[in-house]
Amino acid sequence: MATEPQRFNPDLTRRRFLQGTAFAGVAAFLAACTSGAPESNPPASISIPTPPPATPTPAPASPTPVPSPTGPLKFANWPAYIDLTGKAYDTGEYTKGSSPTIEQFKKAIGVDVDYVEAIEDNKTFYAKIQPQLQAGTPTGWDLIVITDWLAAKVISKGWAEAIDHGNVPNAVNNLQDSLKNQVWDKNNDFHFPWQSGMTGIGFNTKVLASAKIAEPKSLKDLYAIQSSKVSFLTESRDTFGLGLLKLGKSADPSSPTILDDLQAVHDDIKPLVEKGLIFADNSYLKNFAAKKTWAAMVWSGDLASSGTEGDTFKVPEEGVMIWTDNMVIPKGAVNKYTAELMINFVYDPKIAAQIEDYVYYVCPVKGADVEIKKLDPGAESNPLIFPTADIVAKYHNFQFLTDDAEAKLDELYLDLTGG
Amino acid sequence: MTTASVAATPPGAWRRRLFALGPYLLLAPGLLWLVYFFIWPAVQMFLMSISSGTLDTGFRVTGTLKPYTDALTKFSTQWGNSLLYGAISTSLDFLIGFPVAYTIAFRGGRYKNLLLFLVIAPFFTSFLIRTISWQILLGDEGPVLAFLKHTIGVIPVDFSILYSPVAVIAGLTYNFLPFMILPLYVALEKIDIRTLEAAGDLYANAWQTFRRVTFPLALPGVFAGTILTFIPTMGDYVNAELLGSPKTRMIGNVIQGRFLQSTDYPTASALSFVLMAGILIAVLIYARALGTEQLTG
Repeated sequence: MATEPQRFNPDLTRRRFLQGTAFAGVAAFLAACTSGAPESNPPASISIPTPPPATPTPAPASPTPVPSPTGPLKFANWPAYIDLTGKAYDTGEYTKGSSPTIEQFKKAIGVDVDYVEAIEDNKTFYAKIQPQLQAGTPTGWDLIVITDWLAAKVISKGWAEAIDHGNVPNAVNNLQDSLKNQVWDKNNDFHFPWQSGMTGIGFNTKVLASAKIAEPKSLKDLYAIQSSKVSFLTESRDTFGLGLLKLGKSADPSSPTILDDLQAVHDDIKPLVEKGLIFADNSYLKNFAAKKTWAAMVWSGDLASSGTEGDTFKVPEEGVMIWTDNMVIPKGAVNKYTAELMINFVYDPKIAAQIEDYVYYVCPVKGADVEIKKLDPGAESNPLIFPTADIVAKYHNFQFLTDDAEAKLDELYLDLTGG
Repeated sequence: MTTASVAATPPGAWRRRLFALGPYLLLAPGLLWLVYFFIWPAVQMFLMSISSGTLDTGFRVTGTLKPYTDALTKFSTQWGNSLLYGAISTSLDFLIGFPVAYTIAFRGGRYKNLLLFLVIAPFFTSFLIRTISWQILLGDEGPVLAFLKHTIGVIPVDFSILYSPVAVIAGLTYNFLPFMILPLYVALEKIDIRTLEAAGDLYANAWQTFRRVTFPLALPGVFAGTILTFIPTMGDYVNAELLGSPKTRMIGNVIQGRFLQSTDYPTASALSFVLMAGILIAVLIYARALGTEQLTG
C-alpha cells in the first residue's frame, strides 16, 4: 500500500501534476499525438508518404554473426509515457531507476538505457533532429516515439533504419491487427506502435447535471453548447479532423483532404470563437473540475488515467479520431540492435500490461488484456484501453496531409486561435 | 621572442603595452559572450527573416520582404492587444508600485529590508506556476468570484473573468510589478531628506513638495521602471496564453505560434525584428520626452 500508489487518485495523478507544471510540454505531448489509424483503407493517391522503394528491407543478406547488444540505448519518449513507480509515479517525471520496464530490460539484456522524456511536441522534436537526418549524421537517438504523420514522413525520406524482424518476434506476433498494414509502412519494416489514443468528446456528468445541460452525443451537440463553456484542442489535426466529421466530410487517408473542406471547418468554428470558445490542451480536466468547461474535445488517455468521478469520454456519433505514436529507429542509430531488443521487449504482453496499467492509452499489444487482469482487475474491459469492435468501426485517421493541406491547416488553425 | 625584438624594445615597454591592453582583455569575456549569444543569433535571425522555404525543403536567403509585409499587415489585432495590454498594465504597475516604493523608502524604517524581500519573494517561485495559480484565483468558482457570487451575492452567477482581457492584464500587472517597484525604490531612497525639509521651510504643502521636489527627483526611477515593465509585457505570451482566449492573443503568441506551430521561421523572425525595432523607437522617444539630463540624476 505504501509503495503501491492508488490509481484514480483524484487529487494528484501524474498527468494532472504535469498539467500544473509543464503546460506547454504535456499539452503538446498529447496534442502532438494526433494520428494514426488502424484503418487499413488503402491508398490514396495522395498525401500518405510511402517508404522509399530503394530502402533495404529487413533481410540480413549476409550470414551475420549474432550481434551483441551495445549501449547505452538512447531512447527518446514523451513525458509520463511509460510505467513509473515511487516518487516518479506522483511527479510523472522519469528519473533513473523509476521505471520497472526499463530496469527489467537492463537486467535482461545487460545494457544500460538512457531513457529521456525528450519529446513534448512532434514538430519541435522534428525540428531538432531534421538537420542531422538531412545531413546523414546520427541524431544521437537509437529509438524515438513519434506520431503517425511524422513517422510516415521520416520513413518516406529514408531516415529510418529497417527493423530486422528476426530480432523482434514478439512485435511481429503480437501487434494488434487493426494497427497492421499501414499504407506508409505496410509490413512494419520501419516502425512498431508504442501507444494509440482516441480523440472525442469529454465532459463531467455531474457538472452537466448541475448546469442542466443534456449530455452531448454528437459533435453537432457539442457545437451547440454555449461556446464560452466549451473547449476544442490545441492540436490542430484533432480539432480539424473532428470538425470535418461534424460537417460530414472525409477525414481519412483514403481520400484527399480538400482545402475548401478545411476552410469550411474553419468557417464553422470561427463564430464559436467569437462567442468565447477556447482551445485547451489537457487543461480541460482542470476546467471540468472548476466548472469552467462543460464539454470539450478530449484525448481518451487523459480521461482514462487522470479523470475524476463523473469525467466521461464519449465516442461521437459522427466518428472518433484515432492516432498512434510509433517507435522508429532513426537512421545512423549507434545501438540499432539494442533498440530492436527494446521493441521486442515491450511487445511481451506481460511488459505491455505493466506499461498500460500506468499510461492507460489504447494498447497495441495482443494478449495484454489477459495480463493486465492480473495487475488491475477490470482494466481489461476498459474500452478506452481495449476498445470494442463498434468503437474500432468508428475510427478515423486525420494524419496524412499534403504539404499544401498542412500549410493551409496551420494557417487556419493559427487564425482561429489568434496566434 | 627574438633577440632583435628584445633589443628594440626599451625595458618596461611590454608591461606598459599590456597595461594599455588591460581594459580590453578584461572586456573580452563579456564581449565574446555578447557576440556569440546575442549578435550572432541576431544576425542569424535577420537572415532568416529575409528567407523563404519550409522546414522540409530548407530555408534559403532570398532577400524577400514578404515576411515583413506579413508581419506588419496580418496581425493588427495582436499588435493592438500588445500595445494596449502593455500600456495598461505598465500604468497600473506605476499606480500600485509608486506608493509601495514611497512607503518602503520613507516609512520603511527598520523593516525596509524585510519589505523589499517581500516584494521580490514571489520571484522564488516559477513564473509559470505563478501565472497558473492566477487561473485558480480568477476561476469562475475560485476564491474571489465564489465569494462575490455566493457569499455576498453582488455579481451574477455566470459572471466570468478568466479568459478575458481583464484576466490577461491582471496577470501581466502582477507578474511585472517588482520590476516597477525596485527602480522606483532606488530612486526615492536616494532623495536627500533635507530637500524635502527645505521645501517645507519654504511653505510648500505636502502635495506641492511631492509634485515639485519628490517626483522630479524620482524621475530616473520612473523611467527605468516603466521601461523594465513595458518591454517584457509587450513581448509576453504566457499570460495571454494561460489567462486569455483566442481573442486576447498578443504578438508574443503569434511569434510562438509561427515558430512552433507552423514552423514559419521567416515570419516569426520578421515579427521579432519589428517588435524589437518598435520598442527601441518607443524607448528613444520616451527618453527624449522625459529629458535625458534627468536620467543621469
